[in-house]
Amino acid sequence: MPFLTSNAIYVVLITALVIWAGVAIYLQRVDARLRELESRIDR
Amino acid sequence: MKFVLMLAGSLLGLAIGYIPRRLHQPRPSWWRIIAILSVAVVVVLAIYPPLAGSTIDAVIQHRADSTKSVPVLIRATQLQASPDEQGTFLLPAEDARVAKRPIMLRAYQPVLDAIAAAGENVPVVVRVRRAESDLVFQADEVVAVDPVVTLPYIMGLEERSRILFFHVPMSWIATIAYLLSMIYGISYLRKRTIESDDISVAMASVGTLYAILATLTGAVWAKFNWGSFWNWDPRQTSIFILLLIYGAYFLLRSSIEDRARRARLSSAYAIVAFATVPFLVFVLPRLLPGLHPGSADDSTAGPLLSLTSDSLNSTKQVIYSIALFAFTLVFFWLANLRIRTERAMRMTRVSEDPS
Repeated sequence: MPFLTSNAIYVVLITALVIWAGVAIYLQRVDARLRELESRIDR
Repeated sequence: MKFVLMLAGSLLGLAIGYIPRRLHQPRPSWWRIIAILSVAVVVVLAIYPPLAGSTIDAVIQHRADSTKSVPVLIRATQLQASPDEQGTFLLPAEDARVAKRPIMLRAYQPVLDAIAAAGENVPVVVRVRRAESDLVFQADEVVAVDPVVTLPYIMGLEERSRILFFHVPMSWIATIAYLLSMIYGISYLRKRTIESDDISVAMASVGTLYAILATLTGAVWAKFNWGSFWNWDPRQTSIFILLLIYGAYFLLRSSIEDRARRARLSSAYAIVAFATVPFLVFVLPRLLPGLHPGSADDSTAGPLLSLTSDSLNSTKQVIYSIALFAFTLVFFWLANLRIRTERAMRMTRVSEDPS
């Protein structure tokens, strides 16, 4: 942790990556749900 | 070279964005993984690399504000030094940026130790201020040792220059999105296939999302560069008008019940609306004096188009191209989700409708 305290830019980097991971996982889930819906419609 | 790289990033994004060709189909998993990873790479490359200028930057900075230190990339050529009467050490070094310009560093014991820990002839980023001459610099702090990538120091912009990797791709891709919206609008009017209308509205919708993000990121940047979030700079005014024009597009769509009529009118509107885009994005902000880079009273054409400015060095060009690629893929993913949603909604309505 002292490393992160003196190198605050890495905290920003981690924050940005966590946000992107959240958005990416959400996108994946929406994509999967939509595929499920499409398979029901096209049946 | 600069334009080749930028064009390559954008075109590669468009090419991979269109694979598989039919935009109505789900994107394959390898495609989605590339999109996710490339954005992660952009985030890392935009935030991690330290800024590092040259000692010339430090000399110029000194003329504007002598109290401000500048991060510079240097190599200590010799580590033995004896202290003078003030307890500082004079260390011979060379500028790693400007053709090995020989300089002297004046440093106190802790800074000297940090430079010595890095080793002789190892590049280090040190925050310096010009001292008694243009070749002697007071070293305040060691920022990074042997950095893999560094970004150029731009006076007056500094860390804020990193916005380039996020803000500019947003507005560039929004422009492309509006172009695609027009192209699929034309395609609808010619062939009357409702799928073209799905694509046209998806492009306009995700394009508007990107334009809003460009506006918001720009406003945050403007607060710290110009002093206020919004000050009706020509660039801000033109994007505001652009957002109004496309706001009217969605208003038009939501006000028409009949599907074919809605598709016909909004396709026509998408074509007319795009006619204003090149003027509002590329022409107007360059004709009028303003604060945004590339305005009429800017000494350069802005970092991206200028042929003389070196503020966009090769490192930044590469990162910027990856950013264009990454955000283009994300754009196509979002648009794809929207297109498929439009289609799914249409199909369910059809199945509910007994006729």
